[in-house]
Amino acid sequence: MDISRSTMDIAAACATAAVGAVVCYGATLNGTAWGSSGPEPGYFPFYVGCLIILGSAGTVVQTLLRRAGGRQEHGAEGEAFLDGERLRTVVAFFLPIVAMAAISAWLGLYIGMGLYIFYALRVAAGFRTLPSLVSALAVVAVNFVIFEKLFMVPLLKGPVLEAFGIY
Amino acid sequence: MGNFGQLMDGFAVALTTHHLMIMVMGVLLGLVVGVLPGLGAPNGVSLLLPLTFTMDPISAIILLTSMYWGALFGGSTTSILFNIPGEPSSVATTFDGYPLAKQGQAARALTLAFTSAGIGALTGVLVITLLSSWVANFALRFGAAEYFAVYFMAFASFIGMSGGSPFKTLVSMMLGFAAATVGIDTISGESRLTFELDELIGGISFLIAVIGLFGLGELLLTMEEGLKFEGVKARLDIRVIARAVAEVPRYWATLIRSALIGCWMGITPGGPTAASFMSYALGRRFSRRGRFFGKGEPEGIVAPETADHSAGSCALLPMLALGIPGSATAAVMMGGLMIWGLSPGPMLFSTRPDFVWGLIASMYMGNVIAVVLVLATVPLFAFILRAPFTVVGPLITVVCVIGAYTVANHMFDVWLALGFGIVGYVFKKLDYPLAPFVLAMVLGDKAEDAFRQAMLTSDGSPAIFFSNGLVATMMGLGLLLLSLPVLSLLLKGGRAAPKNDAAATPEGRSA
Repeated sequence: MDISRSTMDIAAACATAAVGAVVCYGATLNGTAWGSSGPEPGYFPFYVGCLIILGSAGTVVQTLLRRAGGRQEHGAEGEAFLDGERLRTVVAFFLPIVAMAAISAWLGLYIGMGLYIFYALRVAAGFRTLPSLVSALAVVAVNFVIFEKLFMVPLLKGPVLEAFGIY
Repeated sequence: MGNFGQLMDGFAVALTTHHLMIMVMGVLLGLVVGVLPGLGAPNGVSLLLPLTFTMDPISAIILLTSMYWGALFGGSTTSILFNIPGEPSSVATTFDGYPLAKQGQAARALTLAFTSAGIGALTGVLVITLLSSWVANFALRFGAAEYFAVYFMAFASFIGMSGGSPFKTLVSMMLGFAAATVGIDTISGESRLTFELDELIGGISFLIAVIGLFGLGELLLTMEEGLKFEGVKARLDIRVIARAVAEVPRYWATLIRSALIGCWMGITPGGPTAASFMSYALGRRFSRRGRFFGKGEPEGIVAPETADHSAGSCALLPMLALGIPGSATAAVMMGGLMIWGLSPGPMLFSTRPDFVWGLIASMYMGNVIAVVLVLATVPLFAFILRAPFTVVGPLITVVCVIGAYTVANHMFDVWLALGFGIVGYVFKKLDYPLAPFVLAMVLGDKAEDAFRQAMLTSDGSPAIFFSNGLVATMMGLGLLLLSLPVLSLLLKGGRAAPKNDAAATPEGRSA
């Protein structure tokens, strides 16, 4: 599965245009006209939204023009944005981060980061179980000391640590 | 000469043991941030910012600026030893730094880079010392319309001088403005663009955006590219270092030219990345040894390094004197100033001279400390970088996730940062510049307030933006900058369009 750069350019521009439309719509909820005391709160965001749509449209036109020009030089699709293998690498890196965030929201950041580091070292980097476990615990301990003790910034603890009396 | 006395007072503030310790710590943290790809100066400063909320503002700003210097220096180490820029602004250093290191002259290359970088940075600080209070005094006369004109000029120069697609710059910047308007409107008190989501009422912090866009986005990109460090061994011999330092004055012409380019690009929001590329290109054109550029020519290291660092320090001048940051990192620091309850801009010079001049004095010290520390720690960082990225990457990820959480102790911010991470990854791959996004996010409210106040005083007539010579000149310059892409297209007859892509890549990653 290959995604060409120009396809991605157009997809991204459509996405930004959609965001622009949402911004415009949101601005109309606040009123975009001139009230009795000057511009209403939606006035500025409304034009910001319009400019996003304008810029996105410009990008689409530019990409289409370049694709038309590029076709004569390099054949069909031109430069690749991402191929299947690279996409898998990125997803394999990103999904565990999402999992860490989900676990952290549920069981607290310390447990989330510990499990994530263990997974990353054991599975992704291919270390043996014991070194991975020790490293994960070390990361948790170092962060605990830095945030709870040195900078006095409490991180999310979650139910498990609280059950052990760590707040 | 009033500045000189104030600078001496500033040294009295900055030269305490406590502050010197903070500088050393900041520089070391900055070196780590600069050396590791995926952790850049804007991201590093964002991660550290929540930890400074309890410090006093002078110590906090010294910590953050020292980290900034460290990051600028650290980026060059990896460029020269590993051919991998640790910071976007040190991409140009790889062109000649790595070849010279491969010829067995790594120590000479590093010393040349750090010494010229130090000279560049000190030039920048000197410019700040001489000009800042003058600019601030000048800006005291500004009203709302003038302020909006300055913001307009800053943003127009991004579009006009970006080198990449002006449409992408526009989209990136306006998305930043839109993100800044989310939350409670400061003038009317209404909530805007929150769509009934409680989490959005407090607004989106620019720190979350920076951590996502610059941190997680860069990590995804580095992961995808399958990074491997295959470095050159560096053995640092004190005699080689001394000889290389003595060699630097020989390149005085390159030094002066590059420092001037750097100062100009730093004050106008071109940023260090653009400055280093421009300086390298001009060096190749004007130097007598220009044809050796790219093969390990010392001047090819001196030129981008000097410009990178003078731009990096000059970027703080408009932040201090006008409240308009010259780079993404400066934007983050300015956000910090506002969180600490200081309002950057001309008034700061009269209300908190101890802060302003303490900061400026610390810049001299911080850069000297950075040069010494960066040379001393080269072997250490070369060792750290031999760890595979599959190990370093997850560690940086954890730091980013914790950083996103500590901004306001909300898990929602972590999800937001992950979202920004994907956006940052796609935008970087597609050469959308990210610095305008951050600048717009930090300045969004101020620019909007200035615009609305100006429109209120003029009863809605845009004529206020051309009502006197000063504001008309600034608006005119802004419009001229906006039309630059169109003008250059007309001049070239559109035939050079594909070439823009090559120029866009570095700018898109602008620090």
